[in-house]
Amino acid sequence: MGHESNGVSNRDTPSFNFYSDRCASHMLRKKLPFLHSLLSPVSRHVGHLAGHQYDVIVVGGGHAGTEAAAAAARVGAETLLITQKIHTIGALSCNPSLGGVGKGQLVKEVDALDGLCGRAGDWAGIHFSILNRRKGPAVWGPRAQLDRQRYRDFIQSELLSTPRLTVLEGSVEELLVTEPNPEEPGHHRVTGIRLANGSHAISARSVVLTTGTFLSGSLFVGQTTSPGGRIGDAPSSPGLSHTLRERLGLRTGRLRTGTPPRIVKDSVDLSLAKLHLPDSHPTPFSFLNTHTHCKPEEQLPCYLTFTTPGVERVVRESLQLNCHIQQDTKGPRYCPSIESRVLRFPGRSHQVWLEPEGVTSDLLYPQGLSMTMPPDIQLRLIREIPPMRRAEIHTPGYGVQYDFVCPTQLSPALQVKSTQGLFLAGQINGTTGYEEAAAQGLWAGANAARWALSMPTVTLSRTESYIGVLIDDLVSRGVTEPYRMFTSRAEFRTSLRPDNADLRLTPKGFEEVGCVSSVRYQESLRVRNSLQDALTALQALFLSTSSWKKKLPSVPISETKSTLLTGLDLLQYNDVTFEMLASAFPESLSSYMEFAQRLKIEAVYKPHCDLNKKEIERIQREENMSLPQDIDYFSLPVSLSDEVREILDRVRPSTLGAATRLEGITPAAVVNLLNYVRVTEKKKETPQYFDGERVREDAA
Amino acid sequence: MLPLRSVCGGIWRAAVHTVRTSRGAPPYRLLSSTCDGAPAALADADTIFALSSGHGRCGVAVVRVSGPASATALRCMAGFTQRLPPPRTALLRSITDPRSTEVLDRGLVLWFPAPRSFSGEDSVEFHIHGGPAVITAVLQALGSVPGLRPAEAGEFTRRAFQAGKLGLTEVEGLGDLIHAETEAQRRQALRQMSGELGRLYQDWSDRLKRCLAHVEAFIDFSEDELIEDGVLNRVDVSVRDLQAEIERHLKDERRGERLRGGVQVVIAGATNAGKSSLLNKLCQRPAAIVSPIAGTTRDVVETALDLGGFPVLLSDTAGLRDSSDLVEREGVRRALERVEQADLTLVVVDSAHLPSEVDRAAAFLREHLSSVIRISRCLLVLNKADLLPEKQRQKLDMELRGVSGLPAVCLISCQTNEGLKDFLTVLHSSVKTLCGDPLFGAPTLTQARHRAHLQRCAAALAQYQRYRDTDLALAAEGVRVAVTSLGRITGRVGAEEILDIIFKDFCIGK
Repeated sequence: MGHESNGVSNRDTPSFNFYSDRCASHMLRKKLPFLHSLLSPVSRHVGHLAGHQYDVIVVGGGHAGTEAAAAAARVGAETLLITQKIHTIGALSCNPSLGGVGKGQLVKEVDALDGLCGRAGDWAGIHFSILNRRKGPAVWGPRAQLDRQRYRDFIQSELLSTPRLTVLEGSVEELLVTEPNPEEPGHHRVTGIRLANGSHAISARSVVLTTGTFLSGSLFVGQTTSPGGRIGDAPSSPGLSHTLRERLGLRTGRLRTGTPPRIVKDSVDLSLAKLHLPDSHPTPFSFLNTHTHCKPEEQLPCYLTFTTPGVERVVRESLQLNCHIQQDTKGPRYCPSIESRVLRFPGRSHQVWLEPEGVTSDLLYPQGLSMTMPPDIQLRLIREIPPMRRAEIHTPGYGVQYDFVCPTQLSPALQVKSTQGLFLAGQINGTTGYEEAAAQGLWAGANAARWALSMPTVTLSRTESYIGVLIDDLVSRGVTEPYRMFTSRAEFRTSLRPDNADLRLTPKGFEEVGCVSSVRYQESLRVRNSLQDALTALQALFLSTSSWKKKLPSVPISETKSTLLTGLDLLQYNDVTFEMLASAFPESLSSYMEFAQRLKIEAVYKPHCDLNKKEIERIQREENMSLPQDIDYFSLPVSLSDEVREILDRVRPSTLGAATRLEGITPAAVVNLLNYVRVTEKKKETPQYFDGERVREDAA
Repeated sequence: MLPLRSVCGGIWRAAVHTVRTSRGAPPYRLLSSTCDGAPAALADADTIFALSSGHGRCGVAVVRVSGPASATALRCMAGFTQRLPPPRTALLRSITDPRSTEVLDRGLVLWFPAPRSFSGEDSVEFHIHGGPAVITAVLQALGSVPGLRPAEAGEFTRRAFQAGKLGLTEVEGLGDLIHAETEAQRRQALRQMSGELGRLYQDWSDRLKRCLAHVEAFIDFSEDELIEDGVLNRVDVSVRDLQAEIERHLKDERRGERLRGGVQVVIAGATNAGKSSLLNKLCQRPAAIVSPIAGTTRDVVETALDLGGFPVLLSDTAGLRDSSDLVEREGVRRALERVEQADLTLVVVDSAHLPSEVDRAAAFLREHLSSVIRISRCLLVLNKADLLPEKQRQKLDMELRGVSGLPAVCLISCQTNEGLKDFLTVLHSSVKTLCGDPLFGAPTLTQARHRAHLQRCAAALAQYQRYRDTDLALAAEGVRVAVTSLGRITGRVGAEEILDIIFKDFCIGK
C-alpha cells in the first residue's frame, strides 16, 4: 500500500532529500530549494489521488499540521497533507515570533523529537534573546523575532523534501467514517476524507485534523462579520464541523482570539520609542545547531512604547461599534485585546512592542494592540500613541471566533476516543499559540502514523515534558479559555528545563516513538554519555575543604566544614564555574568544556531534581496503570458513589494517574478502581535500519 | 470484567516491577541518580508512623513505624546503639526522646525487618502505656526522627497491599477502610478548621497562595509585562513574616486551643421531637432548657460525658425547620454544620408523627433521614413512645428492626424512661466501635500530622530566602512546596487557582 509512485509525491526526488544528512553543519549551509519548481507538480491534478490509499492524511498546513505531517512521515507512514493554499504553509498568522517563557520549552521539546519549528526558528530568526536570563535556567525562555518569509520558506522546503510526504492543495468537504459499531471500542472508525471540488474520496487509516480557527470560524471587524478563519482565506467547509458534531456527536465550544493591525514602518517615528536590543550572541533553538542563520550583528531591534489616556478614550467611545468585544465568547485572559485590557484595568499605561516583520518587510507588528473596532477608529487609536502619531495602517486588526472540540474527548495520544484513527491537534483542541500547536501536531502526527501502521500509540507523561503537561491538562481537565503554556503549569519545573530537553525526549523519540532520525539520536547519545562521564569525573574529585581552598583561592569555602567535598558539590557554589574547575583539574575535566554551561546547571539543580524523583516515580507508576476505555462505570460492582461514577463516566480517564488528578475522586475510589486496571507494559520495539534510514515493515 | 478481576492480585506487583526495571533506562534519570547507588526497596521511600491501637480507656497503646528509616527510629528511641534486637522478639526498653534523651516511658519494642512484616517493609512496634500524655510524647518524638512523618489515611494498609501482603478479599475491604479513615480525618479537620486554629491556617494558606501567584507571575510574565520588581520585594516581606509566624507557632506549646477529644455525638431532628430532653437524660442533669414550645433550643449545647468508659462529646442542636426568625435560622445552620462534623448522629423523631402502618413508617423515616444527614453514621431514636398505643408500640419495635435502608432504631420515652436502657446499650456499642478505630477522635495524631506539615512548610520558606537572589525558579520551588505542605491541612491548591490570582492581580497582555 502506498508504495507505487503517484506522480505527486516527492519521495523520488533525491536532490531535495535532506532526511539523511540533518546535522548541524549541513543544516544551515543548505540552500533552500527553488520552491516554485517544486510547487507545480504538487498541485497537479487531483484526479491522480482518487481511490488512493494513504496511511495518514493531515488536514491543515499551520503549525500543528506541518509538524503532524512531518512527524507522521518520519515515523514511516505514507502521508498526505491537504491545505487550502500551498503558499500559506508555514505562515505566521499572528505575531512574527517564536518561543518565550514556557513556550520556549515547548520549542526545545519539539526539536528534541526532531520536529521542524526549532530549526525553522534558527533559520528565520532575526532577533534572538533568552528571556528570564536572571531568573534561573529552569525558567529561561528562548525566544526569537522571525522573518515571516524565511520561516515559510524553511517549512515548505522541509516538507517538500520529506520522504513519504505528499502535499495537496485543496479543501476538505467531509470526513469519512464508518457507521457506529457498538461492539468495537471507539464505535466509529475513520476511513478517509472527501474533497470539496468534486466527489473525490481519498482513503486513509488515520486522519489528523488541524483546522485552527477555521472550524465554523467568523471574522469580526467593527460591526461587520464574515465567515472565515484567517483574513484573505476562504472559510472551511461546513461539512467538516457537521460530521464532527452530528455524526460523531462531539461536544464543541466557542472561543475567540484577535490580531492587531499591521503598521507601515516608515510612518512610525521610532526615535520616540525605547530601543530594545537582542542578545549579542544569539542562542539557537535546535539541539543540532551551533549557530543561527542570522549573523549576530545583522539582528534587528524591537521597540517599546506605551498606551496613553487617549487610547482608553477611543476604546470607550467606540464600544457600541465593536461586535466582537460585546459578545461573551471566551477570549484568553493573558492575551487580551487592547479593548479588554483598558476595560479591565482602566487608568493604566499598557506596554506596546513594535516588532519587525522581517528583514525586507516594510511593516511593524504592534504586539499588545490586538483590536476589532472599525478600521477608521483603529487608525484613530494607534495615533494616540506618540511614536505612531502619523502612522498608517497596512492591514486592520480583526477578531476571530471559532469552534473547538472539547479536548476531554481525546486520549493522551490526541485520538478522538469515540472514533478510531481520528486525531486532533492545535487550536481545534482549544489551545492558542504556535508552540502549543506545533507540540500537539507532532504528537498527534506520530501517533496517527503509529495507529495506521498497527503499532501501539504512545503517551508523554507530565513528569517528563511540557508537551506531556499540555496534553494531560487538555485531555483530563479540558479548557474554558484558550489554553496557553506557562511554566507555572509544570509541577516538575526544576526537572523539565530547556537545557535538558534532548536528554528527556530524544532517546524516547527514537526508541519508543520512531519520530527521531538516527543522526540526531547518535548525537544525543554522545552528549548524554559525555555529560554522564563529566558528572562522574566531578564526583571523583574528592578533596578536603583546605585542599579546595588552595586550588580555588577566590571561592569563599567555609572553614568550619571539615568534611570532604566533591567537584560536584563545589560546582553548586554560586561563584564556581565549570571553567574554573577545569582549569584547576585540566587532566580530568578539560575534555568536557563544550558542556560547561549544562554541567553547571545539572550540578545546581541535582539536589532538587532528586527530591522530585520520588513523586515523579509515584505518578509514573500510576500512569502505567491504564483504565479500559469501554468500562461501564455505572454498573461496576464496587463501592463507588454516584458522584464518582458520574465523573469517571464523563471524563473517562485513560490511566489511574489521570483519575487520581480529577476533582472529586477520593483515595478510596482510586483503590477500588485498582481491580480494573490494566498494566501497560512499555514495549520497546526493535527498529530496523537500512542505510541510515528506517525501513518499515509492511503492516499488511 | 471478571477475568480482569481474577488477575488483579498480580497487577500491582507487576506495576512495581515495571517501574523498577525501567528505572535506570531513561538517560535523564540516570543523570540525576548518580549519587544514590542502591535502588530503594520500594519507590515510596518515606517512613511513616501512627498509633495503631484504639483510643479511649486502654492499658497499652501500640505505635507502628514502617519504612526504611524504621531502624533509625529504633536505634535512637530505644537505645540500640550497637546492633539491632533479634527480629520479632519483644524486649522491654526505656523509650527516650532523641532530642532531649528524656525517658518518655518503659515499654516493649519489636523489630520486624523486611519483608517479614505487616507492610512488607522494615517495621517497628512500640507497645507503650495508654495514657494520652505518653502517646503524644512518643508520637512527637517519632516526628523528630529524620525521614519520619505521620501516616496518611490508609497508608499502612496501602503499603501492605503494594508489597503483596494482602489477599484478594482483603483488597476488596481496603477501599472501604480507606473511605472510613479519610472520612474520619475529614470530619476531624472540619472540626478544627471551624475553630481559631483553622482560621489561622486558612489565613496562612491565603497569604502563601498570593506569594506564590506573585512569584509565578514574575517568572511567567515580567519579561513582557509591567510587573515591577516591587512585587518580589513584597513577597520577600510576606515570606519572612510567614516563616517567623509558623516557627513561633511551632514553638508555642500552648498552641492556642486544645483539641477536644472524644467521639462527637450530635443530637438532631425536627423541632419539638425531644432532643434536649434526651440530652438531659443522657447527662443526668438539666444541661439544656426543655419546654413544649417548638424551637426552644437555638444554639448548640455541648456536654462532655463518660459513656461506659469512653469519652463522648454530646451536642444538642436547634430543631430543623424553615424559619423566618434570623436567630433560629442561624441555629439551624449551626445544627447542620455539627451534623456534618459528627462521628455519630442521633436522629430524634416524635413517634406520634409516624404513620401507623409499618411500611409507610419506614418510608417516612428514610425520607426524614435523608433530609437531616448525608453521610455520617447515625441511630434513629423514636421518642415519646409513651404517646403510642401499646399494640402499635410493640409492632413498631419488632418490625422496624432490620428494615433495609434504616440504621438501628430505638423506641424510647424520655418522659417514662421506657426503652432508655436498651438505647444506652446500643449507643455504648456504637461508641465502642468508633473508639476501636485509632483515627476516631484522636487529637494527638492530627496534631502530630499538622506539626509535620507545618515544619515542612517553614523549611520550604527558608529555601525561598536562600535562592531568592540567585535562582528564582528554585526560590519559587520553595514557595510551591510550602503551599503544598500547608494544603495538606487546609485543602489542595491547584495550578489553576494560582493562575486565577495572577490574572486578578495583574494585567497580562502578551
